[in-house]
Amino acid sequence: MKRLLVNLSINHPKLVIAATVLVTILFGLQMPKIIIDTDPENMLPEDEEVRIFHHEVKEVFGLHDMLVLGIVREDGAFNPETLGRVARITEQIRDIEGVIEYDIMAPTEVDDIYTTDEGVLRIETLMEEAPETQEEADRILVQIKKNPVLRGKLASDDGTTIAIFIPLESKEVALGVAREIEGIIEKETGNEEYHLAGIPIAEATFGDEMFRQMAVSAPMAFLLIFLLMLYFFRNAVIVIAPMIVALMSVVWTMGLLIGLGYTVHIMSSMIPIFLIPIAVLNSIHILSEFHHRYRKTHDMSTTIRETMDELFVPMIFTSMTTVVGFTSLILTPIPPVQVFGAFVAFGVASAWLLSVLFNTAYAALLSKKQLESFGAHEESGSTMHRAMTFIRDFSLRRNKLIVGVGAALLIVSVFGLFRIEANDNPVNWFKKAHPLRVADRVMNDHLAGTYIAYISIKAEEEGGLKDPAAMHYIESLQLHLNKLENVGATTAITDIVKKMREEMLGDPAEAVIPETRDEIAQFLFLYEMSGGDPDDLFKFITPEADRANLWVQMHKGENRAVAAVVEKSRAFMADNPPPGLTIGWAGLSYINVVWQQKMVSGMTKALAGSFVVVLFMMMFLFRSFWMGVLSMIPLTATIALVYGFIGFIGRPYDMPTAVLSSLTLGLSIDFAIHFLQRSREQYKASGSFRGAMEGMFRTPAQAITRNILVIAIGFVPMFFANLVPYITVGAFFFAIMLVSGFTTLFAFPALLSLMSPGLLAGRAQTDVATTSGHS
Amino acid sequence: MLRRKSGLGIATMMVAGVLLGALASGEVRAEAPAAEELMKQAHMNLYYAGDDGRAVVNMTLTDKRGKTRLRSFVMLRLDIEDGGEQKYFTYFTEPSDVRRTGFMVWKDPNEDDSRWIYIPALDLVKRISANDKGSSFVGSDFSYEDVSGRHWNDDTHILLREEEVDGQPYYVIESTPKKKDSFAKKITWIHKDRMLPEKEEYYDKKDRLERVFRAEEIQEIDGFQTVTLRSMTNIRKEHSTSVEFTNIEYNIGIEDGLFTERYLKAPPKKMIEN
Repeated sequence: MKRLLVNLSINHPKLVIAATVLVTILFGLQMPKIIIDTDPENMLPEDEEVRIFHHEVKEVFGLHDMLVLGIVREDGAFNPETLGRVARITEQIRDIEGVIEYDIMAPTEVDDIYTTDEGVLRIETLMEEAPETQEEADRILVQIKKNPVLRGKLASDDGTTIAIFIPLESKEVALGVAREIEGIIEKETGNEEYHLAGIPIAEATFGDEMFRQMAVSAPMAFLLIFLLMLYFFRNAVIVIAPMIVALMSVVWTMGLLIGLGYTVHIMSSMIPIFLIPIAVLNSIHILSEFHHRYRKTHDMSTTIRETMDELFVPMIFTSMTTVVGFTSLILTPIPPVQVFGAFVAFGVASAWLLSVLFNTAYAALLSKKQLESFGAHEESGSTMHRAMTFIRDFSLRRNKLIVGVGAALLIVSVFGLFRIEANDNPVNWFKKAHPLRVADRVMNDHLAGTYIAYISIKAEEEGGLKDPAAMHYIESLQLHLNKLENVGATTAITDIVKKMREEMLGDPAEAVIPETRDEIAQFLFLYEMSGGDPDDLFKFITPEADRANLWVQMHKGENRAVAAVVEKSRAFMADNPPPGLTIGWAGLSYINVVWQQKMVSGMTKALAGSFVVVLFMMMFLFRSFWMGVLSMIPLTATIALVYGFIGFIGRPYDMPTAVLSSLTLGLSIDFAIHFLQRSREQYKASGSFRGAMEGMFRTPAQAITRNILVIAIGFVPMFFANLVPYITVGAFFFAIMLVSGFTTLFAFPALLSLMSPGLLAGRAQTDVATTSGHS
Repeated sequence: MLRRKSGLGIATMMVAGVLLGALASGEVRAEAPAAEELMKQAHMNLYYAGDDGRAVVNMTLTDKRGKTRLRSFVMLRLDIEDGGEQKYFTYFTEPSDVRRTGFMVWKDPNEDDSRWIYIPALDLVKRISANDKGSSFVGSDFSYEDVSGRHWNDDTHILLREEEVDGQPYYVIESTPKKKDSFAKKITWIHKDRMLPEKEEYYDKKDRLERVFRAEEIQEIDGFQTVTLRSMTNIRKEHSTSVEFTNIEYNIGIEDGLFTERYLKAPPKKMIEN
């Protein structure tokens, strides 16, 4: 196969280039069809039970996605002036296209229940119009605090914060509605602070930012890598080839992904960022080797053939292991991660094919003149050369120290690994200072919590929830939940029934669940009869009274915090079996918990699976059990050190962090393959371990070092990205390169010198290099 | 579906035409009293037939998932003054868990209604009040106002056109609330002979159709044209209510003394028999 590909490129370079360009254009034409997807629900397949249930609950109880506008005034928001603003703003929000105006929750929209001094039960709009006196303003806050349905939602108990909940006809209108609300707010002057939050706006903003990052981060890394390559090889004409290869593989992959109709999710938006360095890795080896040999022969055709002889096998294996690493992501039950893994794998394969075909064809077309200045600085006295010699001598002389320190680091890392906590909150994908994060923080500090989950309670028959036993059970579940740290408030039909009873009997002590079914039925009926909006009631109980919906408001949306609440509610239900009720969780906050748990277990499987596959591939490549094991060391060290570090600093193991383990695996093994495979060839050529190391630390080690530097530095700009997952990826590339690269350069010579040199000689008679046609 | 669509288009054109014509010729002034007079007559026929009345009412509420609930009650009405004050008495028989719940309304077109409710489980009468006549009547798609009538004085009326629908002649009147209200515009179809409002469309201020009222069945009872089956559909919220009136009687001599808290707790048997 190698000969076929190389001959094709050398003999028909123009044809090869034309063909690859044509394919690239075809894939490129798919790009405009791009669809961005930021819906966290899509972390689970559409037919996933919890998603179907979530939608059913939303449908049954008429729940919509909501924006939340927080109005904060530190010296108190309950004054005629601020309330006037709130009324004015609400009035304008009602008129925005896409807002479901009859479901807005605001002081001028919600109903309040109370008994007048004359003993008349009134259900009326909480704030018909803005109050004129401070007394009236104070009264509104008192009424909110007395109403369990409004308390902690509409206003904070300290009266500094008012929230307006704005339901949307669909998620798609979120950004447009948000813009209009911002326009409305801008017209208001005064001491109020405004915060706009809500999952739909977070999603939409995230999509927007993602697009921008995609357009900025990838080209920036691309440019920087190009400049670094230029620095190392001093020849723009030559360095441009690997850059074109990288670009083409990105276009092929994204074109295929988009063309096949997949949406671009946060992970797949980073595919270009993953592919560029992977594509460049191979090319740096080719260029280094090519350059080294060209100086000896000054014959293009021979140089290309020799370079390919030397690199074909390691390149196939480095690409295949990376493909294995990313393909293993298909084992995670998270569709966006599966798509990401599959397409990066495709991209890596494309990059391999292109670096063999395109690089050689391109080189075949170059004139001698264009090659003159190529790599002119690689003399024996160069910094690079001296550094390599130093590393070689140091690691051979201090072999025991290196192995000892390495082992110690590994052991320490294992402790870090045990401290890793899987945790994610899509809001945290924004940086801390982002307005949405600020809004999230402010509102959760003041209100009962903006992270809402639902507990759906089903009775066996219609009317079943009018049973006092059912009501008592819901109440006890609420009492249990309310004690939990993360729970700001729970609201259920029980609260409405108790409130009605209290108002009917005119005594707060009577706010208890009635003891007869008829009384419960009559309070529910009374609520409908007395002029409140029946649909408000039906957000908590179906008209048939066979299903109820318990709202759980939480301050923190991190999966662990939400999962803790879910677990404790389940423990409660296990200890106190519900009387003929079926109880299940729904809501976006809960969906996040489910996919996070699936991801953690899925990733563990994926990583373990690909580790084993790669180990077998290495044993096959080297035809040696111990060489196979040895080659896994840099990879193991990198995973242990990087993730151990994450454990120690307490950074949550979130989706991007999890997915990056396959990148770690795929990239870390590459250096090991190049080092061991080529040390072996050097050993065969020189006949001694010392000679092998000397040869190794010339061109191959230099190529490895260039790779480390190009990719590590190339990703530094990503540290300054606006979205946290991008920063994470940049940091990972940096860490992977340094740890796996230097483990390879320091630990391998040290370990090899301590082990039997026969290992390099290869006990197996058939050497892979020989079978692959090396003379 | 198609027919309705084209019909609507024609209707819109006609509305525009009438409005333009009216503006040009200054006919608004001339027609306005006529339209108001029509509305008043229709209002009187629908809400003030006879001096009093009694009916057994079956109300079916259909939610957006197509599930239905039934409410049955006996309803008594006494007119204190034609076109003015009225008293209503409602006694629920279904669903069974709210049986014997009583509800009484003293309606005064110029003020807020006075309402009382009797909760049998607590054996307690409570006065309830609401300042919003547009709020739901016993959880249905009808508002209090739809049940007891919205005074013609609250709106300004324009006769849009006269038209035949399914061979029946109608006046079509557009009403606009004088003060901010739960709707922005109402179109009423008044049958020329029966002089009853047989269809109403309520629009919000974005001119979206919100609710539709239909008189589905009309019978002559005791000489009065009586709507025996009516429906209200909430287009935006996708639910509807249909109300069937049976055992209808007029002028049975209901006394003012019946409308008290005492009788709300324990109504006379003959008044509440099905």
